[in-house]
Order: sequence, then C-alpha cells, then structure tokens
Amino acid sequence: MPTVTIDGCKVTVKKDETILDAARKAGIWIPTLCYHPAVPSDASCRLCMVELDRGDWRQLVTSCNYPVRRDIVVYVSSERAEAARRGVMELLLARAPESGELKALAERMGVYETRYPNVTESQRNCILCGLCVSVCEQIIGKAAIGFAGRGVDRAVAAPFRQPSEDCIGCGACAAICPVGTIKIRIHADEQEVEISPFKSRAKLLVCEQCGALVASKQVSEQALTRSNLNSEEFRASLRLCPKCRRLQTAGQLGAATFYKK
Amino acid sequence: MTLLSNKRLSSIAELDAQRKELLSSRAPSTKSVYVCTGPGCAAKGSPKLYELFREAVSQANVDVEIRAKAVGCHGLCEYGPIVIIEPGDIFYQRVEEPDVAEIFRETVLGGRLVDRLLYEHPATGEKLDTVDKIPFYQVQQRVALAYNGLIDPTEITDYITEGGYSALAKVLSSMTAEEVVSEVEAAGLRGRGGGGFPTARKWRSCREAEGSPKYVICNGDEGDPGAFMDRAIMEGNPHSVIEGMLIGAYAIGSSDGYIYVRNEYPLSVERLKLAIEQAKELGLIGENILGSSFSFDIRINRGGGAFVCGESTALMASLEGRPGEPRAKYVHTVESGLWEKPTNLNNVETWTNVPAIINRGGEWFAGIGTEKSKGTKVFSLVGKVVNTGLVEVPMGITLRQIIDEIGGGIPDGKRFKAVQTGGPSGGCIPAEHLDARVDFDELTKLGSMMGSGGMIVMDEDTCMVRVAKYFTDFLQKESCGKCTPCREGLAQMLYILDRITDGEGQVGDVERLEGLAELMEGTALCALGKTAANPVISTIRYFRDEYDAHIKEKHCPAKECRGLFRYEIDADACKSCGICLQNCPAEAITGEKKVPYVIDQEKCTLCGTCWEKCPFAAVLKV
Amino acid sequence: MAQDDKIIEQIVDRYDADVGMLIPMMQDLQAECGYLPLEQLHSLAKQLSLPLSRLYAVATFYASFHLAPKGAHEVTLCVGTVCYLKGAPKISEAISREFHVETGGTTRDRLFTFQAVNCVGACAVAPVMIVDGKYYNGVTPASALEVLYGLGKNETSVEKDGET
Repeated sequence: MPTVTIDGCKVTVKKDETILDAARKAGIWIPTLCYHPAVPSDASCRLCMVELDRGDWRQLVTSCNYPVRRDIVVYVSSERAEAARRGVMELLLARAPESGELKALAERMGVYETRYPNVTESQRNCILCGLCVSVCEQIIGKAAIGFAGRGVDRAVAAPFRQPSEDCIGCGACAAICPVGTIKIRIHADEQEVEISPFKSRAKLLVCEQCGALVASKQVSEQALTRSNLNSEEFRASLRLCPKCRRLQTAGQLGAATFYKK
Repeated sequence: MTLLSNKRLSSIAELDAQRKELLSSRAPSTKSVYVCTGPGCAAKGSPKLYELFREAVSQANVDVEIRAKAVGCHGLCEYGPIVIIEPGDIFYQRVEEPDVAEIFRETVLGGRLVDRLLYEHPATGEKLDTVDKIPFYQVQQRVALAYNGLIDPTEITDYITEGGYSALAKVLSSMTAEEVVSEVEAAGLRGRGGGGFPTARKWRSCREAEGSPKYVICNGDEGDPGAFMDRAIMEGNPHSVIEGMLIGAYAIGSSDGYIYVRNEYPLSVERLKLAIEQAKELGLIGENILGSSFSFDIRINRGGGAFVCGESTALMASLEGRPGEPRAKYVHTVESGLWEKPTNLNNVETWTNVPAIINRGGEWFAGIGTEKSKGTKVFSLVGKVVNTGLVEVPMGITLRQIIDEIGGGIPDGKRFKAVQTGGPSGGCIPAEHLDARVDFDELTKLGSMMGSGGMIVMDEDTCMVRVAKYFTDFLQKESCGKCTPCREGLAQMLYILDRITDGEGQVGDVERLEGLAELMEGTALCALGKTAANPVISTIRYFRDEYDAHIKEKHCPAKECRGLFRYEIDADACKSCGICLQNCPAEAITGEKKVPYVIDQEKCTLCGTCWEKCPFAAVLKV
Repeated sequence: MAQDDKIIEQIVDRYDADVGMLIPMMQDLQAECGYLPLEQLHSLAKQLSLPLSRLYAVATFYASFHLAPKGAHEVTLCVGTVCYLKGAPKISEAISREFHVETGGTTRDRLFTFQAVNCVGACAVAPVMIVDGKYYNGVTPASALEVLYGLGKNETSVEKDGET
C-alpha cells in the first residue's frame, strides 16, 4: 500500500485511492465543491488543488481525482497551493456573489473578498460544478437535466430550457447542490413539487390517512422498482406519509415481537 | 482508376505488379498539366481552369498523350491559381480562364513559354520559368508535402504510381511491430499537432497497454485560425494519411481507426471518403490486407464545430457522441482513451510523415532538422507577408529565413513587428528574436510554441494589445466552460483587455492579467486552458510599452484602437479636393478651395471615412 | 409525422444505431431539415435510447448545430486571425448594418443566415466570405454587400423559374 506524505504527515492508502482520500484519512482539510462520494469525480471546479512533488519540480494537481499509485509527497498548505485555491475561489465568488454557502466555504478558507468583478452569469448563483447533472444521470438514472451551451454561456438546463418530461421531482439535484442554487418548491394547493430553476414539476401523492403531501408518484415508482419490494404490502405503505408509515411499521413490529414471544 | 481492374490485391506481389503496369503504361512523351486546386487556388477559381484544360485535352488532335490533373496545394497561394506544365517544370502563376487556350497552344503543344504568366523575381524583375528557380521554393524541403501538387488526390492509381503503399507493403512483408516502432523512434519523429510528444513512445505505450480493442485516431480537427496545413494534406494527398495510419495500427496492434475532420472542411471529408473507398476496393483497407493477417478499418467523423475538440480527450468525447469536453484524468489516453480503451492519437501531418520514414529509413529523417526536433515542418505563412502560402522547411531554419527568404518580407514597405506562432495558445515573437531557430524547444523558450504550424506575420500597423484581445476573445468563445479557471479566467482577462483598448485601462491592469495568467496555467483542466494566457503573456513580455501607452497615455501606438488616436489632415499633402468633406458623416471637416482642410476634433467621431477616402493619403492617424 | 420518423430511422440505420456516431447523425438530420427540430430530436433520442438532455447538450455545444430554421442562403464570414487583421470586422459591421442581422442570426425575410466562423483555412486569400459554399476572396465591405444584394435578385428569378 502506497504512502502519501501530506505536509509532512504520513498516511497509507489503498492503491488508486485519491490524494483527497488520503488527506481526509489524515484529518487534513482540503476544500471541495464539485466532489461528492456518490458520483465519479469530474474535477471541474479546480478548488481542491494541491502541490505534488515531482522531484525537481512541483505540479499543481486536483486532489479529488489524482490516483495514488506509489509513494508520493504532497503539499496542501504550501504558498503556491493556497494561492491556487484562493484564486479559484475568488473567481467563483465573482461568478456567484449571492450564495451564502459559497461565502461560508470561502471564509473557512480565509477568503473574505474577491478581486474580480462579476462578469459572467449564465445562471444565477450557479458555479457549474455539475453535481446535479451527475446525480440525475448516474444515481437517479433520469438525465432530466444536462449541460447546455459552452464556455461562459454554459448552463445547467432541462432540454430546450423547458420543464423536463423526464424529471421525477425527486430533488436529488437540490440535495447535492453545494451552493444552494437548486431549490425544491412545494405548491401545496396544486399538490405539486417544483424543482427550481428548471421549472420541472411533478404531482405529489397524498397521505391516505392524514392528507399530508408525500413524494411524487414517479419517485415512489422508482423506489418500488429499485428496492424490488413489489408487494402489495409495500405499495400500501407508500400511500402513507412518513409519520403514519412509521406508526404502521411500529404497530407491525410490535405484533411480530409479540408473536415471537 | 482506368488501369486498375478494381480487383482486390491479395498479395504484395500483386501490388508491385500493379505499380509496374501503371508505370509502363505512362509513355515517356506524356505531357501533363497540373492545376493546383488547393484551398487558396480553388478559392480563386482554379477548378474551372482544370475543366477548361480537360476540355482542351479532349479536343486536341495530337499523337502525344496529354493529361490534365487537378492536384493539391502548391504552397505559393498568393500567386494562385498556379499551373505547372511537364515536361519542363514550367511554373505559371495567376492564371485566369482566358489564359488556358494560350498555355495549351503555346506551352503544351508548342513547347514555348508564355512570358507574361511567369513568376517575376521581386528584386531583379527577371522572369523565372521553373519551380526550382523561384526563391519561395529554394529554402524549402518537402517531405510531408512531397507529392502534394504531383498526384491527383482522387485517384489511388496516382498515389500507387508514385510509390504509394510500398511502405505498407514493406512493413507487412518484412517488419515486426517492434521494428516499425524502432524505425519511427530512430527517426525522432515528434507529434506535429502541438505538443511535440515523441511519436514512437506514444505508439509503444499504446501497444503495451492492457485492453482491447485498441483505437488509432487521426486528428484532422485543424482549428487554429491561420492554419491550413492539414487541410492541404487531407485534400491534396489523402492516401499518405491513410497509409501512415495503417502502419501505425500495425505497430500498435489496432484494427479500428477514426479520422476526425473539422466541420469546416467538407472537401477534406469528401476526399478522404473517396480515398478510403478506393483503398477498400483494392484490399488496402479491410480484412487481411494484402493477404496478410493484418486487418484495419477506418471511419470518418466530421466534427461539430468546436475548437476544443483539437484536444485529444475532448476529441474522444466527441467520437463517443458527447459534447467535446476534455476529461480530467491523470491516466493517459494510450491506456484509457476512446470508450476507455487504449487509444493512440496523432495529427494529420504526423501520420503523413510515417510512410516516408519507413521507405527511406529513420536515419534519413533524423538527418534533417535539429538535435531534438527532427524532420521538416509545414507552416502556413499568412498575414502581412508578401508570399502568403504553405511552406515546408527543415526544422532549425530561422524565423527570418521563413519570413524574408520564403515569405519575401513585409508588403508595402512596412516594418515587421511580430510573428505569431502556435495558434491561439501560442505567442507573438518580436523582431529581436527573428534569428531564433524554429524547433519545438526554441519556440517554447521564447514564450510561444510550435503548435500545429500557423505562422501569422504582423507589421507595424498591428496593435499588440488588440492581438492579445483577439486571441483571448477567440479562446473565451471556444472554451468548453467545464473548469473554473478557463471559463471565468478568460472572461476576466477579456474584461480587462476590453477596458484597455477602450482607453479605460487602469494602472495595475497588466499585473492583474499576469496574475490571472499564472492562475490559469497552474489550475486549468486541459491544455487549452493551461496555455490560454500565452498570447497575453507573450505580448506583455515583448510589447509592454504598448500596454503602458494604452493605459497611461491613452494612446494606441499602432493607431488601431478607436479613440486612442486622432485623424489629422497633412496640410502639405492636402490638395483641397473636398472628397473628405463630402464623405464625413459628422460634418467635422471644414475647408475651402486652395486651402488645406481641417478636422474639428470636437466633432470628429473617429469613423475613419476620410482616411479611407482621401486619394492623396493626406489624412493621417496621429 | 410518419415520414419524419422514417427519416430518423434511415439515419439511425445508416450508422448502425452506433451512439458514437451521434454527431454525424445529427448532422444528417440537420442537412435533411435545415435545423434540428425538437420532435425529431425526441424520436432520435428514443431510437438510440439516449436521454433528450444528451442530444440537447450536443446540439448546444457544437457551433454547427441550429435549433431554429435558417435562411434560404447561408452566408459565412471568416473571422479567423488573418481575415480579422485584413478587415473582417468592417465587413461584418457592414452586413449587420445593411441587412439588420447579427452574426448567428437570420434576416427577417429569411433571405440568409449570417454566420461568423473561425478560419476556413483560406487565409492566403483573406478576407473570405462563403455564400452557399462558394468562396469569395479578398472581400471588402462594398463587394460583400454587392454579393448579398445579388442573392435577393437571384431569389426572385429562381422563384419565377419554379413557377413556369
């Protein structure tokens, strides 16, 4: 197993684990934005730069996707690595000045302001990290949203910038968004969920007992096929809201326990 | 294809026999008319000339065999359309439709020269009748372009007659894969696409990589503005590219090839398609090539119009039917490329060099060029230079030789200011470095790079800040937008450059540009982003005074940036004709007969109409 | 609509439904329709079992794809480095001014779609304008406008020919 020396601290990782994995193991913090353990790393935000010792020179690499294959020496808090991360963060702050989440991360890095004016904005407060696109395609399996355009005009959008027919209203994109740009909006009177800013909507199921809004029909269908629990019992439980479902499960558990005894 | 029976060649002996037959059928008395239909000449109407020559041939009632051929780029595009007559190697320039009959009657049939169509030596005024006497060609050495301008790219028989596919035959009959790689290694061939990576090392890594199938790709996505080397090769000698790929595939152990051609080159696609069809018919592409156990197929993909697809991982993404975004991987494409399989990608010019290396030996090739840059390099020499066109020179020649001896210097008596090499990610090299040798490492040292071979000459009227802005704008539009530093950094740079050329530059702007450049170089995801600041950095390095003049004095020394110079009328040169006054849309010019006219600077909108219209060049930019 | 589906089917067959050939397929579709209509992209996506978002990403990434109908003629102005240095911006300005069309747009009467591209590889004869595949070299603002005004005239004569 190769050893990674990070700022003098030695840590051993499995072959092909990343520098970021090693740093986390060693308890060394490296800021990340487009990295999420649930999806393969795209290394697009370039925030997690560290310096890799190449013998006679040092190379800036992204820690989130650099695979460790032999013993290496890495610097996280070197002047150059810090300047690189700071520079990238300043560019992102200029792009998305209104994101509280981004600002908080910047402050944790010691970046309190940006040198750059706001000159690009294809989508308000979006830093184009692509996590929403990845999770929708690779975890949910829907690819309801994708990238559109290129360069400064690049944006995350549903096809033709219209509400997507493929969107199931699961909200995974909102949950994974690191800067709080994607939001789940519940339209109670219409019993619909809307994923903003994509304008996609889905009808919500209503709890048969208390009338509370549950997940969308497509989400429960997905859950059904994925969990392979295609029984009538399970289907019935999905017609309840989480609270009533818990009550029902507790009741069933109680009966089972009692029966066993 | 008249001489070939269109029959599959099932062995090397059959290919040789075919070539012998082709050669013997060509009578020594045959006369040939070569009409250049390369990009430059074609744009000037040479295809029509070719038709007219063919008509003339069909109507001529003579004993000797006469052939009219449409051939690839000759290089001296500035003087196109070019027509060459054999025997005699007679070079006619700027040929127009009415000249065809005369050339045919006088030169082809009569063996006499048409004086007025000959190239005139710019210094001595002497009429030069043959190609080898023209200074433009004297310093050149043609390897990649050797048969461009000789063979008809739509006839595989022409290529075979000139020895085409003999390198493939040699490889299949007498060389192991390793021997092929060693030969290319001995040649010292480095990638002509930009990076200059040793070709043999790439081939070997790909051959040794685990996984199958393995892919071989030809990068014909020539996106650098000002470059048309690869286009000229694909359209002028497509079979040399195919033969190179076949040899590479044999060495690597691949049976699947792709040629990725830039969307803007429809003729290249057409020529390559035809060439592949013809090669397939003869069994030079397909299963069991020339009776061997080697099989290889080639497909053509047309790009969708994205500069970034010149980057290898972006090109592969495009071949997978996705947007051309580079992949962030620390694993090389020779291990995991197209469809995550071992993939070897070389550009058009690199592939074209391969058959010549096999035929003449790696040692021969290594004998040309410098210690670390072997062979020749094709450049498209364009911009403010007398002889624009396509040139092929041995590595190690100086920039001055290319621009002055081949290019004929700067037109209109202007002064040379800079030469831009390496495409949008390259840099501008100033006059003090004109004696630098052209090779991979030397150009990099000067803050530019070899790139794929665009060479744009700029004269004293070119504002270097605007040049930097032009390339930054280009790259900003072509950036895929995936990674933060390239997408945001270029936009920030452009914002600053806009401000400077608008006369609103601030003290510290140059340092801001330098800071952004350093950030992009260190943190961008792909080569495009890492080198995107080169035009800005190299112009700051050599032309800092121009930046300072814009920022501090609000003055554009090249007088190109509107608002940063004035128009004035030279009282001595003004003939008081009144043309400027009539044309001025702002009524800013006053004057009467016999008195020099004057521009009211308060009213002048700096549109430049007076400057354009004045027949006496009396309107000056100051 | 049935006929439209047939077009898609033919295109998909032409490339053995190989997803790697998505871009050539979309190029063929555009050659057929003049642009990429939404319904056709829908059925192409369905036939290839690809999400529509993938096709939309490709269509908006590459400069050669259009999601809206184009003009009767295609006017392309090269703004590559050399053309730029030799005056392409002035030509572009003149065309925009005279025909009220921005680069990338189509004139209101659908006479032509005006595009600016980066280098067509004919730098030796810059500036270059391409109208329906025909190259015009050494173009000036005046000569470019002359060519484009000629388009309008040809158009009426073509229509007349069509009627008789």
